[in-house]
Amino acid sequence: MSEPLLLFRGIEKSFAGNQILKNVNLSIYPGKCILLSGKNGSGKSTLLKIIAGLETPSKAEIEFSGKSHSWKSVIRSIRKNIIYLHQQPYLLSGTVVSNVAYGLRFTHLNRTQRSDSLKEALEWAGLADVANKQAKTLSGGVQQRVAFTRAWILKPKVLLLDEPMANMDYESRMQACDLLKRMKSEGMSIVVTGHDADIFDGLTDKHFHLTEGKLES
Amino acid sequence: MEGMLISTQQALHMLLTGDSELWSIVMLSFSVSFKAIILTTPPAMVVAYSLANGNFPGNKIVLAVFNSLLSVPTVVIGLLLYVLLTRQGPFGDLRLLFTQTAMVIGQMMLCFPILVALGYAAINAADRRVKETSITLGAPWWFTMLTVLYEVRFGLLAAVLTGFGRIISEVGISMMVGGNILGYTRNITTAIALETSKGEFAQGIALGIVLLLLAFMLTAFLTYVQGKQEITA
Repeated sequence: MSEPLLLFRGIEKSFAGNQILKNVNLSIYPGKCILLSGKNGSGKSTLLKIIAGLETPSKAEIEFSGKSHSWKSVIRSIRKNIIYLHQQPYLLSGTVVSNVAYGLRFTHLNRTQRSDSLKEALEWAGLADVANKQAKTLSGGVQQRVAFTRAWILKPKVLLLDEPMANMDYESRMQACDLLKRMKSEGMSIVVTGHDADIFDGLTDKHFHLTEGKLES
Repeated sequence: MEGMLISTQQALHMLLTGDSELWSIVMLSFSVSFKAIILTTPPAMVVAYSLANGNFPGNKIVLAVFNSLLSVPTVVIGLLLYVLLTRQGPFGDLRLLFTQTAMVIGQMMLCFPILVALGYAAINAADRRVKETSITLGAPWWFTMLTVLYEVRFGLLAAVLTGFGRIISEVGISMMVGGNILGYTRNITTAIALETSKGEFAQGIALGIVLLLLAFMLTAFLTYVQGKQEITA
């Protein structure tokens, strides 16, 4: 296997004296998908949020390009390449287009490039028909696709998905799985949490189980 | 009772015939209070957002101070501002006492804690995912703040309308630092106080009707906005 893109070492997290994560190590490889399973409340979401820079760990180190850094010192610079998606995606007020285009304004693309990128993304996810609809009025499955597209358009190196298939019907799951496979085939690294490994069949390369704050393969 | 009826009839007549003195007082009131609310809202929202999202030491104490300031009597704010702006005061050279600017400043001092406290409540109730989504999509902190504020805009609008209702109906500040000068600093509430003290009830009742109508309109607008929020949520 090639060098890991990011290596998170010794992640620890406590809430009100209760240690949720105990010395967790996780390597993320380019273009590979990791499945994290574990009971509700086992710390899966917390772990993803720490990786995404949305939650502060009690202790953690990040290793990349052969050097080790404290989580605090580098998380701001590396989180540009990491996108976290909630279990229930939050779509902002406005249309599908405005949601998908949200992050583009923070990139270095000019207006024409942004417009082209937006068109490509809507076509990629099959959202062109609902492009001008209010995002919050769409079904759960379509909302999840909008959230995937909103992330995909920014071409992150790592995509973190928190139980993306929860509360989805069979057809929506298939569509979501298809999008994730395409993202992976484009070289994106994916870390996904879930209870049922079968749902992610053909997508995951490695499966870890989080139990009592520790990661087991 | 008969006198009351006559005064009310005269008040309605003044309102409907467009009595110039009465309507200039109304316009002055709105002008001063609009300026105060517009100037106060942006900084108050930034402070409210910082209190709702910041983990700085003393966060809760600052919030408690703002909550306490909600109940400060307007005459106390008026008195404080009077002392600051009077000729012998530290800002006496600015010659702001008995001007509309002084009234605007006083009303800003009155509505700032209201906007912070109510804005904080609205922002604090925002879905945590809004901020996280914005950050993970690469937004800088100020754009994340604007996104969160936009998502809770109905709650913030309620805060702004409450603040506006409070300042346009206050009398203590306007009386003390405005001076109730006809055509210059006389607003609805100071005019009501003056006319009532003179025993001239008609203009007071007419201006009271304007204030009551404003209160009803603000409430109706709030109800409409809250209904819209439930639909879009």
